Amino acid sequence: MVDISLLALAEGATPSAWSPRGLRAAVARRGIPITLISALGLLLAWTLATQFKLVAPLFLPSPFDVATQFYTVAVDGFSNATLAQHVGTSLFRILTAFVIATAIGVPLGLAMGLNRWVNGLFSAPIQLYWPVPPLAYLPLVIIWFGIGETAKIILLSLAMFAPIVISAQAGVRSVSQARVQAAQSLGATKAQIFRHVVLPNALPEILTGLRLGIGSGWATLVAAELVAATKGLGFMTLSAAQFLVTDVVFVGILTIAALATIFLTTLRLLERRLTPWKGQD
Amino acid sequence: MTLIVSNASVTYESKDSPPVLALADASLTIPRQGFVVALGASGCGKTTLLNAMAGFLSLTAGSVTVDDVPVTGPGPDRGVVFQKDTLYPWLSVLDNVAFGLKLAGLDRPKREAKARELLALVGLEGFEKSATYQLSGGMRQRVSLARALATNPEILLMDEPLGALDSLTRETMQELIVDLWASTRKSIFFITHSIEEALFLGTEVVVMSPRPGRIIRRYTLDFVHRTVASRDAARVKSDPEFIALREEIRNLIHQTGAESDGRHLLARAG
Repeated sequence: MVDISLLALAEGATPSAWSPRGLRAAVARRGIPITLISALGLLLAWTLATQFKLVAPLFLPSPFDVATQFYTVAVDGFSNATLAQHVGTSLFRILTAFVIATAIGVPLGLAMGLNRWVNGLFSAPIQLYWPVPPLAYLPLVIIWFGIGETAKIILLSLAMFAPIVISAQAGVRSVSQARVQAAQSLGATKAQIFRHVVLPNALPEILTGLRLGIGSGWATLVAAELVAATKGLGFMTLSAAQFLVTDVVFVGILTIAALATIFLTTLRLLERRLTPWKGQD
Repeated sequence: MTLIVSNASVTYESKDSPPVLALADASLTIPRQGFVVALGASGCGKTTLLNAMAGFLSLTAGSVTVDDVPVTGPGPDRGVVFQKDTLYPWLSVLDNVAFGLKLAGLDRPKREAKARELLALVGLEGFEKSATYQLSGGMRQRVSLARALATNPEILLMDEPLGALDSLTRETMQELIVDLWASTRKSIFFITHSIEEALFLGTEVVVMSPRPGRIIRRYTLDFVHRTVASRDAARVKSDPEFIALREEIRNLIHQTGAESDGRHLLARAG
C-alpha cells in the first residue's frame, strides 16, 4: 500500500481524486479496505441494473425495495413472525447445535488424536459422511427423529460435527515430538504433557475447526428449516420463494449472510486473541 | 553424578527396508563436571547416542546408567537442549523457563524468582514478558538453556544447540556455555559437527563416524580450561596447538567419511 503511494509521488504525479491512480493513492492514504470498494461496486451494479430495468423486479428487486421490505418484515413480520423472531429461532437452533457439536466433537477429536483405537473406530464413519450434503441425509434424520425441533438441531449438529472433530484430531497430531520430549526431560507426567503441551498446541486447530463448523452450520440452516418449520430465517426465505416475494428472499439471504459474517469474524478475532503465536513459529 | 554408556548399540527396524545399525558398540563416560563433546558428520549416530542418554529411546544392546542406576526414560536429572527450537510459543519467556518448576509443583513466586535468576544468568534480563516467537535464534537458545537449567539437573545433554545460529552469534554462545559450565559446575554432553567448536568446548572429544555410527577416536583436551583461566577465546582458538589438532581431526573425519561412503555405495551397487 505504502509502496504504491510512494511510487505515485516519485513519478511526480498530483493525483486527482477520481483517476485510477488517484483512487489508488486515496486507498493507500486513508487505508480504505479494498473489500469495501468491492462491496460498493457490487451495490452500484445492482442499483444500475434495476434502475435501467435490465432485469425484471421479480428476478432482481432494487436495493431500495429490499430495504423497504426489510423494514416491513422487521416491524410487521412475514409468515406470522417478525424478523427478530425468525432470527431468534434460527440463532437458538444454530447455537444449541454448536454447543452440542463442540461438546462432543472436541473431546472425541482429541481422543482420536491421542489413541489409534479410538481413531480407527471413528475416523471411517466421519470421513464417509462429511462430504455428503446435509440435504441428502435430511430425510433419514426426519425418519429417525421426527419433524420437530430435535431433527433440526441434529441436522445442524451433524453439519458442524465433522470439521470440529477432524480439526481437533489434526491439532493433537501436529504436536512435534521434540516439544513432547522437552517436557518429558523436564519431568512431565503423561497427564501434564496432555494438559500443558498437547492441548495448547492443538488450540489453533481446534479454533479453526469451530470456525469451519459454524460456517457449515449457517450453510445448512435452510435445509434444516425445510420441513415443518413455522419460524426461522431459512423457513422465512423458503416460504417467500414459494409466493415469489423475491425482495423478502433477498432480506432472508442478506440477514443470513450478515449473521454468518458476524459469527465468523468473532471467531477469527477470538483466534487472534487466544492464539497470537499461530503461524509465527 | 556420573553417566556411563557401555557397549551401546541401536538398530532401527522398519517394514520396507533392511534394519539400520544407527549406533554400534559405543562406550562413553560423562564424569562429574566433565564436558564431553561428540563430533561427527550427519548420520554418525550422535543424536541416537544423546537420545539414549536422555531416555528417549531404548538400546538394542548395552546400557546407560546414572550413578549405577539404569536409565529407563527421560527425567529432570538430565536436562536437554535441542537443536530445534522447542520453546512453547503459548508461554512467555519467563513461563517457559519456569515450566519444569511448575511441573514439579513449585508455587508461582518461587518458580518465577528462580526463572528470573536464570534469565539473568543467560543474559536475558528484561525479556521476561516477551513472546518467544519475537526473539532471535540466539536468544531462543538462551531461553532453552535457562529452561533446561531450571530443574537443576546435574547433567546437561545438548544436541547441536548452536547448529542453526549464524557464526558470530555462535561464538558468543560458545563463550556463554563455557561460562555457565565453569560457574554452575554441571556435567555436559554436547553434540556438534563443528571441529573448532568441539575443540573449544570439550574436556573430552569423541570423534564419530557414520554407517554404522560409532566412536573412532577420543581426545582429552584442556583448551576449555585455558579459556576459563585466560578469558581470551580468540587466543585459544588461534593457538598453533589448537590449529594443528583441528587439521588432524579434519583429515581423520574426511578419510573415514570418504571410506565408509564408498563402501556404502559399493554395497548398494552389489
